[in-house]
Amino acid sequence: MEGATDELDSRNRAGSVLGSSTTSDGDSVRPSGRPDAIRFVGVHKSFGRNKILAGLDMGLPEGMVSMILGPSGTGKSVCIKHMVGLLYPDSGDVLVHGHSVPNMPDRELFEMRKKFGLLFQDGALFGSMNLYDNVAFPLRQHTEKGEDEIEHIVMRRLTEVGLANAREKMPNELSGGMRKRAGFARALVLEPDIVLFDEPDSGLDPVRTALLGELIRQIHAEMLAEAQAAGKTRMPTFAVVTHDVMSARRVADYINVLWRGRIVGAGPAEVMLSSEDPFIHQFLTGDADGPLAMD
Amino acid sequence: MNELVEVPRDWLDSMGDVVRFGARVVGRVAGLQVLRYTGETLRQAGILIVSSTLVIWGLVFIIGLQCGIEGAYFNQSVGTPAYSGVFAAWCDLRELVPLCFGYMMAAKVGTGIVAELGSMRISDEIDALEVMGISGITFLCATRLLAALVVLPFVYLCSIGAGFLASYLAVVQQIGDVSSGGFFLIFWQFQNPPDVLFSLIKAMAMAVLVVLVGCYYGYNASGGPVGVGTATAKSMVINIVGVHLISMLGTQIFWGNNPRAPIGG
Repeated sequence: MEGATDELDSRNRAGSVLGSSTTSDGDSVRPSGRPDAIRFVGVHKSFGRNKILAGLDMGLPEGMVSMILGPSGTGKSVCIKHMVGLLYPDSGDVLVHGHSVPNMPDRELFEMRKKFGLLFQDGALFGSMNLYDNVAFPLRQHTEKGEDEIEHIVMRRLTEVGLANAREKMPNELSGGMRKRAGFARALVLEPDIVLFDEPDSGLDPVRTALLGELIRQIHAEMLAEAQAAGKTRMPTFAVVTHDVMSARRVADYINVLWRGRIVGAGPAEVMLSSEDPFIHQFLTGDADGPLAMD
Repeated sequence: MNELVEVPRDWLDSMGDVVRFGARVVGRVAGLQVLRYTGETLRQAGILIVSSTLVIWGLVFIIGLQCGIEGAYFNQSVGTPAYSGVFAAWCDLRELVPLCFGYMMAAKVGTGIVAELGSMRISDEIDALEVMGISGITFLCATRLLAALVVLPFVYLCSIGAGFLASYLAVVQQIGDVSSGGFFLIFWQFQNPPDVLFSLIKAMAMAVLVVLVGCYYGYNASGGPVGVGTATAKSMVINIVGVHLISMLGTQIFWGNNPRAPIGG
């Protein structure tokens, strides 16, 4: 195991993470030719004695569905919380569209968060509201839209996720999969620039995981087409945190493999999935033999 | 020895955190940011009215009966049954109605807030709010404080009425050693409008304490359902101690120097 850690250190020193350059407006650019919507720069984070992120350098390219893949307990969900300013790094920086999240004053941070939609592991629906009110909530709080327009938007999103007939149900009447889909609808309702998914496959059976993955791809494609047609400057960016390799194969355009708080490899999905790198190969094929061990 | 020092130190740390958190919540109300969420404030006010009012009035009514009965029998035993109204005026208004109000606030409202916000915290609902660009402290805590400040003065004034009514029923209708007119003569001599105001101030101080402590422990709950249970228990302890401290200090400040007792000229 010690050898594996040494190898990881040398890979980081050698710049194993695919290199990036910087655009004139400060956004860094991936080898995909797109700027990073979100970038981690040398981020360290510890909770007590537990070191979770250890100099993380990672980018999520704009307009793509990116995956952050890694074994359980390796800091994936902590990454998401850093992106939206729910956690701050001990050192290093997190940039969203080139703006430093840790250095934002509260007012700016709350404005920045409106760019995000976040699907939590269990949906995080408000228990005191029915499904319709949950999805309508961001629109009522952040827009001046009338109830008719809100209903149109909410029902469109609920239909997309297959929950149009469940609008009156309370969250405790929904299955785990339905709660996730409802959370997805709520995350999309403000048409955010960036949508984050925290383990969308956890607790779902393989078929529903596959269907949710398809839904993610389909909605990303629709949002991308709409953004291009509207001539938006920011293309929709989806980032999915998971340890499910099958989901990655189905959904990802771009993959970051995270281990022990660092990126061991990052690149376009087809490159990563055919990688001969022993770390990445072992993780993506699920082999018992390789540098990754139980500890 | 270290443990003996650490326990009170932890409590002091915790109290410091509660005070800082409370100041933030009060700031959101005083700075009027809370008015962005008037709908939620009204919803919380409605919940307070519907779920807590009858319980508070019921408890205060029973305490009023006890005050009346004990006062009547005590005065009967020393040969001054006409003075039973003193107990109704003082015991109800100055001490037991505020205390019972504080107890019921701590037991019903405070623990309810901790349990609700704690559940929201551990199920990521508060994080979801924050990610939507909505301040959890303003939306969840400041709205509850404002709702309490709007609703509870009326609830409390009616509680005083419930206590007085109960004492009257016990002294005049049940025991009957004093006439209705005789009871009210003494009853009104031993209180005046500032006493009602002071009693209200005591009760509102207790209500603010209970809401802020409940919000703090709920908002910062961690450790899953067990953590929420622990936070609820902690908040109850702090609230009960705080309610007694406020009651004692209030009595000292408002009536310690001048009890306003028309006895002995």
